[in-house]
Amino acid sequence: MKIMMLDISVFVGHLHPVLVHLPIGILLMALLFDLLARIPRFAMLKTAVPVVLLAGFLSCVPACLSGYILSGSGDYAQDVMTAHMTAGFALAAFTLVLWCTTQPVFRRRFQLPGNVFSILLFALTALTSFTGHLGGTLTHGDDYLTFSLLTERSRPRPDSAANAFIFEDVIEPILLRKCGHCHQPAKLKGNLSVASLNALLKGGKSGPAVVPGRLDHSEMYKRITLDPKDKDYMPADGKPSLTSSEVRMIKWWIEKAGATEGKKMSELNDSRSILPLTASLLGLAGGDADAGQDDSLQRPVNPAIPAQLDPSLIEKLRTHGLTVKLLYKKPAMLDITLPANSGKKLSELQDDLSKAGRNIVWLNFSNNSLDDSDLAVIRQMPNLERLRLEGNPLTDAILSNLAALKHLESLNLNNSKFSPAGLTKIRQQLPGTRIYCEKL
Amino acid sequence: MSHHHEDFRIHTPDFAELNKKLDRRRFLTYTSLGLGAAALSTLLGKRLMGRPLPSAGSDGAGGLEEDVLSSIPHFVPRAKRVVYLFMSGGPSQIETFVYKPKLVDMFGQDLPSSVRNGQRLTGMSANQSILPIAPSLYKFGRAGKSGTWVSELLPHTAEVVDELCIIKTLYSEAINHDPAITFFQTGNQQPGRPSIGSWIDYGLGSDNDNLPSFIVLISKNGQKDQPLYARLWGNGFLPSKHQGVQFGSGKDPVLFLNNPDGYDGMDRKQMLQYLSSLNRLQNDSYGDPEVEARIAQYEMAYRMQTSVPEIMDISKEPDDVFEMYGPDSRDPGTYAANCILARKLLEKDVKFVQLYHQGWDQHGNLPTAITQQCKATDQATAALIKDLKRRGLLEDTLVIWGGEFGRTVYSQGKLTRTDYGRDHHPRCFTMWMAGAGVRRGFTYGETDDFSYNIIDNPVHVHDFQATLLYLMGIDHERLTYKFQGRRFRLTDVEGKIVKGILT
Repeated sequence: MKIMMLDISVFVGHLHPVLVHLPIGILLMALLFDLLARIPRFAMLKTAVPVVLLAGFLSCVPACLSGYILSGSGDYAQDVMTAHMTAGFALAAFTLVLWCTTQPVFRRRFQLPGNVFSILLFALTALTSFTGHLGGTLTHGDDYLTFSLLTERSRPRPDSAANAFIFEDVIEPILLRKCGHCHQPAKLKGNLSVASLNALLKGGKSGPAVVPGRLDHSEMYKRITLDPKDKDYMPADGKPSLTSSEVRMIKWWIEKAGATEGKKMSELNDSRSILPLTASLLGLAGGDADAGQDDSLQRPVNPAIPAQLDPSLIEKLRTHGLTVKLLYKKPAMLDITLPANSGKKLSELQDDLSKAGRNIVWLNFSNNSLDDSDLAVIRQMPNLERLRLEGNPLTDAILSNLAALKHLESLNLNNSKFSPAGLTKIRQQLPGTRIYCEKL
Repeated sequence: MSHHHEDFRIHTPDFAELNKKLDRRRFLTYTSLGLGAAALSTLLGKRLMGRPLPSAGSDGAGGLEEDVLSSIPHFVPRAKRVVYLFMSGGPSQIETFVYKPKLVDMFGQDLPSSVRNGQRLTGMSANQSILPIAPSLYKFGRAGKSGTWVSELLPHTAEVVDELCIIKTLYSEAINHDPAITFFQTGNQQPGRPSIGSWIDYGLGSDNDNLPSFIVLISKNGQKDQPLYARLWGNGFLPSKHQGVQFGSGKDPVLFLNNPDGYDGMDRKQMLQYLSSLNRLQNDSYGDPEVEARIAQYEMAYRMQTSVPEIMDISKEPDDVFEMYGPDSRDPGTYAANCILARKLLEKDVKFVQLYHQGWDQHGNLPTAITQQCKATDQATAALIKDLKRRGLLEDTLVIWGGEFGRTVYSQGKLTRTDYGRDHHPRCFTMWMAGAGVRRGFTYGETDDFSYNIIDNPVHVHDFQATLLYLMGIDHERLTYKFQGRRFRLTDVEGKIVKGILT
């Protein structure tokens, strides 16, 4: 049964923001009636004021009760909450007293002058507003309704991703936008604020939100990367999630940048790879939301491959009759096939192939009657990972052209004229490469 | 487009083109939103507006589609090609890859209701008074360096088990054949969506201009217990050029492709050129994308008149190949012969080859039937792996084996010591993959003692599809096509890449 009670109390507590609007409306109406009654046409409203006041008091009771229960959740800034609670109870009491003054029992002893009553009603409305404002501060934060919204200039936007301050320009705005509603000094859900780096390092109920370099200890990172259906997932209650780009940026900041602040992107180690993502988050030119995608899905890419490639070169290779496929865009990784039995002379293609050489990652020259001399062009392709040469009358003489292929994962020499001695030699030269050399 | 009213038409080529391409939906979109944009672009000048108004593109959704396709590849691909051996009917996991020794002692006992847990059954076994547990009649042994358990029905597969990545925890939502196969191939139980091969062709295009990039082969020696429909390799709402092409098993692998008897084909090219000019005429006046697809298909068919007979002729394969694939392989149209064909097609860089082998739907008489099925497929399947491996093609080819669901641990109908049947079971079943990008000699996922429920690492059909696309370099969430006002995906709104099986 205890669990049942707990559930109900939580539920009632959550009703508070709904219930409080009843006294606000009703008490305002009491003032309105009192003022209107000064006009002869509406004089009859004067008699309604006591009833409205009583209704106002009665609606204060559940509002105070639910508010008291909600305060027990401890998710709010203590001093603002105490003030709000005191003001709330005072408001209820004040309403009751004011109602009493309108009752015959009281009036027989002491007649309150009409104007004084109206002034007290004004004071009551003022107290209502003040209490409401404190409540709003608790829910939305103390900067929710200020003139600074109209006047304050935000930080000047950085002119480039490299000049952006990682925390101030990139991370902090994300956190304030996505987490700030609940985790800020005035609200402190889970006793956590994201308003400063210190607050993040200090963390909340469940431990530090951010531990420099340690994703597995950073409670915040853990929460934002959970399954959205998990009860611990953040942002909670269906509030907008962080985008995958934002998560990747935060991950990089914690893991690679040591959760630092006051540093420009360009001052951080190895920040080059993350700049396109930064630019995309800041809405700057050169942005690429794909940059630094989920590492666990993205294979590490050989850094020696040039990032860019002239698109007209690809077109040119295609007009030569080569099949050119893009394996990846940044860096530009090419998969090139010379169609079998194409009858092409490699000497015609050599120049353009060499120009794209460092971008070629997969290459298929199979079944094209190529001889050893044709293969000199491979020297221009140091980043090859897969090389298919099967079905060509190649001999051991091509060894020297293959020696420099440090990244080669597989080499197909089926149906060539390779000798067993040559095979042994190439196995020694390329120990990490899977080599196929059979007569089929 | 009537000729009688030409006088009243605005005679600019742009207008004519736009006029043809506008269907009702786009007309409404452009007149409501588009007119505003058009007015604005006149005011601001075209440059300011960025992208020009959607012009008469040949494909459905114009700019949106370009955005989708230009974003590919999303990942560095691991696989260039796929061969998908679809075992239609739902092969039993309990007689093949899932070793459950505890079942032997439970022979004939009623399946505990705690295991079934309210799972719906098909009408075929729902009314049985008892659901008697039926252990596998066949022995299991450890195979390969990985020591993976494989049934004695699959001696050849056991030889290549160190190449396989066996997933024991597939699960599906459908419980009957057609919805389940349609779900597997198109991501939806109801017909109408594009199949996996069509999505891949749409996303990645072709690597060989002389052959379709999505080819389907159906064994003639699988028992035709459950039908297959052409929509399983259909293009759905994608442009028709992305549909799979079925190669038949007879003398004419592609129907009506060969020249008829008594015609020497000398003027074939001229004839096709004239037909093409007629089609173009038609296209100029109506602009139906289907006409463009038809023109492309005629041109492809002409090229295939040369390429297909050459590739479909396996008689020139050396004897050791036939020995490898087994005696059936000399008989065109059998599963084994289709496996040789598949290898040849993959060698020619056909992107998606799908074999269908029917006859796995063993509700009764399972021991006899599954023995036959395994005999017809085991050797050739293993040979395909070995053959691809020695040719270096397993480097960038993904091989997939599996059906649309598994089978129940209990017997449908009477259980005896030598005979039983098994009903459909979508809650867990086994598939394997091999080759590019997946772990070798590896088993993924845990099931309970009854192979009834998944204990660990479930893989939903959408997860499988997402992983397949990932291996081809595609993010399944970003390969979309807009149709009827909504962007569609193969994996609908689900699917998680199964990271645990990746190298």
